[in-house]
Amino acid sequence: MIAPGIKRGTAELAVLSVLEDGPLHGYEMARRIEEQTHGSLRFTLASLYPLLYRLEKRGWVRGAWETSGTGRRRRCYRLTPQGKKKLSPIRKEWDELFRALRRLTKVSHA
Amino acid sequence: MRDWRALVEERLAGLALEPEERTEVIAEVAAHLEDTCDEMLRQGMTEEEAVRRALSQAGNWKDLRRKILTEKRREQIMEKRIRQLWIPGFLTLILSMLFLTVLYRLGLRARLVWSGPNAILLYTPWLAGLPLIGALGAYVSARAGGSRGTVLLASVFPALALTFAFLFMFPFSLTIELIAGKPVDFSSVATVLLKDGIGWLVVPGAALLAGGLLARVLVSTRASSRNTATS
Repeated sequence: MIAPGIKRGTAELAVLSVLEDGPLHGYEMARRIEEQTHGSLRFTLASLYPLLYRLEKRGWVRGAWETSGTGRRRRCYRLTPQGKKKLSPIRKEWDELFRALRRLTKVSHA
Repeated sequence: MRDWRALVEERLAGLALEPEERTEVIAEVAAHLEDTCDEMLRQGMTEEEAVRRALSQAGNWKDLRRKILTEKRREQIMEKRIRQLWIPGFLTLILSMLFLTVLYRLGLRARLVWSGPNAILLYTPWLAGLPLIGALGAYVSARAGGSRGTVLLASVFPALALTFAFLFMFPFSLTIELIAGKPVDFSSVATVLLKDGIGWLVVPGAALLAGGLLARVLVSTRASSRNTATS
């Protein structure tokens, strides 16, 4: 499991990445992230919804109530054009950080 | 069928949001828990166990309430600050500068308060009008629900803005003179700074504050008498 401090920073990237494939509601989002990271990233309500509201305020995602096939109303979030634009620099930043950490750990193990 | 909304409402009691926004948040969280519970039922758990597990997996409810409030209210806090401080503050600044310009155009000049080497130049007609402007700023801030500190800050805003301008202007002009190779007499600069500081910042600030304090007292007296009348 990844420590909470590191997770906090990756949460934005995780949410924006899963929304890139299409609109999802909160539960689906949390489940998909958990599945795709093999359980390493797990969202609680307190970590997911405040983040979604923050991203919505920034205009990176947009939430709207929709009725599902089962007739249940769920608030679905989709990536806005602004959010799509933000995703690639965030990805790049994390990629650079991981590469730097990999280099660092290799050096210290050598 | 379980009433997830009621369960969430009970746990998020005290979520101080606008009613419509609050209902939306509760409905969204309830939907999440309902889906979590359904998934557990599909895995073969009993309903009671599934509900218990879904609620416990939600994490810390206090933490959730606090974080939602912070995210949802961030904008409200900014809006409040604009209505209670920035609008009345800039109003007093613009009015005080306009008033000064009008007086200057009318030919009213600043006067020396006493003669001698330490004479301080005071713009008395301007100073006479400043309490009224400070009171107006304080009144606008108080009407927007500003706290005592915010109301007084709004009333003395022109003096604060001028202080910032002074603090920036003097080192800047000194640097320019030093670069240009002109000799700078630091003691005379300090004297000018002190005299101008008193004449253009301290005394006008006190005049604005006097007006602000008076307006604050009047507004709070009116509010308390209205409360007494209604109770």
